[in-house]
Amino acid sequence: MDLKLPNSVVSQVDVARLMRELGALGDFFISTQARQAGASVQPPRSSGALEQLASENKLNLLDGQHRQQLNDALNTLLGQAPLIHISFAAEPSPKALDRIVSWLRSNIHPQTLLQVGLQPTIAAGCVVRTPNRVLDLSMRAYLKQQEPYLVELIAGAARG
Amino acid sequence: MNTGGLILIIGSLAAATAAFIWVALRLSSTSSRVIKKDMSDIELDKAAVSDVEHIFNEEFREELRNRGRLHFEKVIGENAMFLQQDLRQTTTQLNDYMKAEITRTLQEEFKKYEQSITDAKQLAIASIEKTITTIDQQREFLQKQLAGQYEEQKDQIIARFEKDMANIINHYVLRAIGNQIDLSDQLDYILAELEANKKAIVDDIRSGT
Repeated sequence: MDLKLPNSVVSQVDVARLMRELGALGDFFISTQARQAGASVQPPRSSGALEQLASENKLNLLDGQHRQQLNDALNTLLGQAPLIHISFAAEPSPKALDRIVSWLRSNIHPQTLLQVGLQPTIAAGCVVRTPNRVLDLSMRAYLKQQEPYLVELIAGAARG
Repeated sequence: MNTGGLILIIGSLAAATAAFIWVALRLSSTSSRVIKKDMSDIELDKAAVSDVEHIFNEEFREELRNRGRLHFEKVIGENAMFLQQDLRQTTTQLNDYMKAEITRTLQEEFKKYEQSITDAKQLAIASIEKTITTIDQQREFLQKQLAGQYEEQKDQIIARFEKDMANIINHYVLRAIGNQIDLSDQLDYILAELEANKKAIVDDIRSGT
């Protein structure tokens, strides 16, 4: 099953949380079967991400078979989905993260998971780390690339 | 030959005969007088020998000895004086000669010495000039070397300064604008960069997956 991930599910942590939520939901339904008549039930609160995931994949969370299917798919996703690490100079806003995830899943892989890090020294831009490569798209790298031009300017100024 | 000539020859012969006869007579008279005189001298000698003891007696001989001694002393004194004068003159001449010779020798030696000093001076001057030339060359070489090293070091310092200055500026820019740029403002740039590196990312993801 090719799971369609919503943009709110960004990282492996989110996937693991969804699996925990699914587990809690399963436990709840098991407990309801064993409850005494008349006893009050308190269903666990599911997150918006889980509901969105179920909705986009046309799955019913009340159905145990669907939950199991979703859990298996998430488990597979956790082991096989491509993971990209992106570092920013500051904590990205959800909106910005949403655009980046959207771009990655539409251009790189539909099940791309993202791990966000912080590197204040890069000032601007980001550093992308794939399993085998590191792409420095930061301003620090850009300034480093432009350093010969800057040296040339300084030399020109120093020598009149 | 005429008569006059004959008379003249005959006259001459007669005159020569007369002259020969006169000479012969004259010589014979002279030899007789010498013989007489020799006879008187012998007698006188005999008389002198017999009276010699009376004439040259002991006093007379002593007187002659004294006179001879005085005369000898006088001669000796005169000769000594002459000898002294000669000796003085010789000494003076010798002194002059020695003085002249020594002066000449000394002058020659001085000339040689002066020539030696002049040669040594020339050699020393040539050596000093050569040394000065060598020192000048060395100084010029060292100046060039120092100038080269100075320029090289200056270039190194300038290059290091420029690089350090570039690092300082980069660091300053990063520190200055690092917290001022919102990520939302960078989003287009980030997406553009991702788009530019899309192929590399996809290839790496596929190979990694």
